[in-house]
Amino acid sequence: MTIIFIKGRGAISGIAEGEALVAKESFQGDSAINFETGEIVQKGHILEGKNLAGSILVLAGGRGSTGWSCRLHAAAINGVGPAAMIFPKMDSRTAGAAAVLNIPVVTDLDKDPFMEINTGDLLRIDGDKGIVEIVQKN
Amino acid sequence: MILTDVEKAILDGKEGTLKQKALEFIVRYAKVLDAEKLCKVTKAHLFAGAHGYLRTVQRDVDNTISLMHFCSEETLPIKNIACYSQTDSGPMDPDQWEILGFTQEESRENQEYLDRYLRAGIHLVGSCIPYMLGFIPTRGEHYVSTESHAIIFMNSLWGACGNADGIEAAFCSAVSGRTPLWGNHIMDNRKGNILFHIESKPQTISDWDLVGFTVGKKIPSFSIPVLNGSFELPDSERMRSSFASMATTGGIELCHIVGLTPEAITLSDAFGGTVPKDAITITEKDISEAQDFLCSGNLGKIQFVSLGCPHYSIEQIKKVADFLSNKKVHEEVELQIWTAAPIKSIADKCGYTSIIFKAGGKLVCGSCPILTNKWPRNASGIAFDSVKQANYMKPRTGSTNLYYGSMEKCLEAAINGEWD
Repeated sequence: MTIIFIKGRGAISGIAEGEALVAKESFQGDSAINFETGEIVQKGHILEGKNLAGSILVLAGGRGSTGWSCRLHAAAINGVGPAAMIFPKMDSRTAGAAAVLNIPVVTDLDKDPFMEINTGDLLRIDGDKGIVEIVQKN
Repeated sequence: MILTDVEKAILDGKEGTLKQKALEFIVRYAKVLDAEKLCKVTKAHLFAGAHGYLRTVQRDVDNTISLMHFCSEETLPIKNIACYSQTDSGPMDPDQWEILGFTQEESRENQEYLDRYLRAGIHLVGSCIPYMLGFIPTRGEHYVSTESHAIIFMNSLWGACGNADGIEAAFCSAVSGRTPLWGNHIMDNRKGNILFHIESKPQTISDWDLVGFTVGKKIPSFSIPVLNGSFELPDSERMRSSFASMATTGGIELCHIVGLTPEAITLSDAFGGTVPKDAITITEKDISEAQDFLCSGNLGKIQFVSLGCPHYSIEQIKKVADFLSNKKVHEEVELQIWTAAPIKSIADKCGYTSIIFKAGGKLVCGSCPILTNKWPRNASGIAFDSVKQANYMKPRTGSTNLYYGSMEKCLEAAINGEWD
């Protein structure tokens, strides 16, 4: 298959590969993730039951508590954090989390990631060049 | 990025390693945001104490603070806070920890954190309502806060400038004295872009709480809501409940209310003369759906009731005392009323604390069930008068019935021992 590229701005440098977890309505900052296991536990959320560990999060923006960053931070310290993150635009919750996790992050995208990427797609992120590659569709 | 000579000197380590690390974080955060420069912060409100997410790290206190607040593997004891600072809610009532079921060891650990913050110059206020406790950033003033609803309150009602950056960014701002000049820190960015027509005629605190939940649910990311409609303008108690629930479901940091908040005296002011990107109507049906989502339909016995999120004002505590006067909380029910320690001291003087205590309730300070995570695990039913508590407790409570209702409804249930 043809590899699909989405171009944007590299917000945090580095290269990562992993499976996408996609949610146009982001999870909330409190009581959304189990930071010991990486499981998403927010009731009724589209990603409820999925696991953050090693994933590439594709989210619209932050919601809920300002603990958005610190709970992902705890998950990362526990070895169950995401490998990279993609946001169509930055907001303060997601940008704070990006700076904390210091993993590859691409933002300000030239295509709508929610039209192009589905949960389970294999992605490669280049945070230096600001490129998202959809390597394999789920 | 444009940095001042002072900022460059801090990054060169001329003011110590902690401040250097803190500013390095703020610069990294600013680059993620694509901010051009930084601005000076005058006030910081900080999520402090032995919180649950820190306990999973399992390192000593100084190492944990370095890693989890400043993103530094190197242990750098916290010191020399650069601006006025006070603590947000903690994981327990630092004085009444025993009646909440904490062990001496847990209390000692929390106290160790608090001692570090106090030595660094952070005032131990311990509350989610800094705006009622001496933390009053005025129009155009740049502050940081770790409490999501307090950010909406101070931005919207006072025209102060804060973003919902997160815990680490707030600590790094407090130490470096800087935050990215971005988002709500730039007055031109603060115009509304989504119109909410509130058709549901909210009146009570609960009505406004549910409106906030619904606005947060329906709002697209990256939006500033403008609430309009023929409702009676909400007072500060209604607004803080509404902002608290709005901040749990949405990414909202600023909320204009037409005819009330200063950047929205008229509808045209609120949008700065631009056309809203979208218009959303909040109906009675939306509100009853929110109520149904938050409150179990399985009526039955309850064993735990918690009120006071956001922390109750003295006016709300008086209402509780009036309600409980000469009444008894059901013997199987634990009733917690949450406030801030300075407000409890007023309640002590006014006799409200003893009325609540005599009725079988507890007036406790500086935390809430979301943060203590102490509630009877064998309970068949637990109740809250706050959408924020109910919404955040929902994933934790399993088969226990979770109830949401007004202060009065919750107090009645606490007395009867059941939700009907």
